Amino acid sequence: MSTSIVGARIRERRRSLGLTQADLARRVGISASYLNLIERNRRGIAGKRLADIARALELKVSELDGAAERRLHEQLAEVAADPRLASLGIEAEAAGELIGRFPGWGRAIAALARSEQEQAALVRIFSDRLNHDPFLGETVHRMLTRIAAIRSTAEILDQVPDIDAAQAARFHAILSEESRTLSEVAEALAGYFDKAATPDREVTPGDAVQTFFEEAEHRFPAIEAALAGAPPAATGQAARATAELRSGPVIDRLIEEAPGFGTASARSRARRALLAWAADAAQAPLGAFTAEAAAHAYDIERIAAATGLCIGLVCRRLTALEPAPGRPRFGYIAANAAGAILDLRAIRGFQPVRQATLCPLWALSRAQAAPERALRQLVALPSGHRFVFVARARAVGAAGFAAPRDYVTDMLALTEDDAARTVYGAGLEARAAEEVGTTCRLCPRKRCDHRVEDPLGAEIAAA
Amino acid sequence: MTSRVLLAEDEPHIIELLCFLLGRAGFAVDIEETGPGVLSRMAEGPPDVLILDVMLPGMNGFEVMRRLRSDPVGAEVPVVMLTAKGQREDREAAEKLNVDVFITKPFSNVELIETVQRLAHGRAA
Repeated sequence: MSTSIVGARIRERRRSLGLTQADLARRVGISASYLNLIERNRRGIAGKRLADIARALELKVSELDGAAERRLHEQLAEVAADPRLASLGIEAEAAGELIGRFPGWGRAIAALARSEQEQAALVRIFSDRLNHDPFLGETVHRMLTRIAAIRSTAEILDQVPDIDAAQAARFHAILSEESRTLSEVAEALAGYFDKAATPDREVTPGDAVQTFFEEAEHRFPAIEAALAGAPPAATGQAARATAELRSGPVIDRLIEEAPGFGTASARSRARRALLAWAADAAQAPLGAFTAEAAAHAYDIERIAAATGLCIGLVCRRLTALEPAPGRPRFGYIAANAAGAILDLRAIRGFQPVRQATLCPLWALSRAQAAPERALRQLVALPSGHRFVFVARARAVGAAGFAAPRDYVTDMLALTEDDAARTVYGAGLEARAAEEVGTTCRLCPRKRCDHRVEDPLGAEIAAA
Repeated sequence: MTSRVLLAEDEPHIIELLCFLLGRAGFAVDIEETGPGVLSRMAEGPPDVLILDVMLPGMNGFEVMRRLRSDPVGAEVPVVMLTAKGQREDREAAEKLNVDVFITKPFSNVELIETVQRLAHGRAA
């Protein structure tokens, strides 16, 4: 026990109650001089005597001798022992008194010291990352090489007097080419820092929800369990009601336990998203759906026909299948005619950037031209990953003769191996993969006719 | 007699510029674009000066140096290490491997040519 805390706290409390040392000493049956020694931390105190003093001061013993204070005392002792502060003449022995008399200040100093330590640790991590980041190392090397060529050429042009016209023209061309490459590399570096400056933690409620779903791999067994036994909901409306009724408390718990939902807006957004997920589960309970999907070799149109579910729902439920040996894993993306992403469920190797314009070469875009028909595409992404895309556009909104036709495209993504376990694997081996991108800014395919934006990082690899 | 410089570098523009500068300074220049190429060139007869980039395909400049210095033919060749890797540990590594002069990119043409001249002259003397 740290007696210095207890002594100071006794004195502080005594004074705040308007008692003299003699008053308090009398109440607990000790001499005033002995109490004086206790208050000045010259005598230790514990057991019955401490309990008597606490009672006389209308406090619990723990309030006089709290673990929190002890920790605080240790933290302040650490601050006082910090060699960087050695020249300040910190009164280390007065830490107890400080905590006793000004606990708020004590906590503030400890909190600042802790924060300083955390920041220093972060700086070390970042500095380590900068020193060992292969992208940065490579980029700086490329920049210095380009600059070397530029400097050397400029010096030749400036300092060599008898240079002939053809040679001068050649050096000017080198200068121009190297300057252009240098600015591309520099721009990519700036882009890299822009990206690196974005905090890891989600900044918007939408990001927080997206991250939460990604970490759960878009599967929520607790919700499935809460819905187990309920008859499949026949309509979307019934499904939402069932979802709320049966899985509402589970959803609330999931949100409460998740670390990322710090704001009311994030929590409410997460709840809506989870309820929508649960409504899908209520319409297509996992057990029966899994069997149905396998029976139809994961053919989305045949599953839809057999179950009466809409194609979008079939695709979404395929992403929720429990992983099992031999069972394909599905990535999924839904987009409207303008290319805006409505739903995105990434899998390893297929991780489109939500905020970016997607590659127009994907079946996702082409399916809009031939709605209500599944379109299969074997693609090679710039990362080297090969996927089979299965896209199908479905009409949304009001039907009717005069009503405009709007389509949303659902697209599944599965690896070639997984595709071989489905109806979409047939005849694939004979086809060449189509080289596609993800989004122009991240795509290194320089000669693409469909490019609408310059690549950001790709020139680094190509430079 | 014309001094021979072996330029071990894989950046086309740097090669072109250095060939121009070294040629004007009266050197005969051979070019090697890979690490292993430098070592096999040694067997044909060592140059008067080796200008060695660190980031070479196949084998980096430090490894080339290590092998060069352990070989009787290459042990005495004056070496200018020319590199964008100018960190302290790179300099120290170069020093341990008996690199004669360590020059970082971007370099000054005059400084580089004077260094090569000095090394070639020392070799000839």
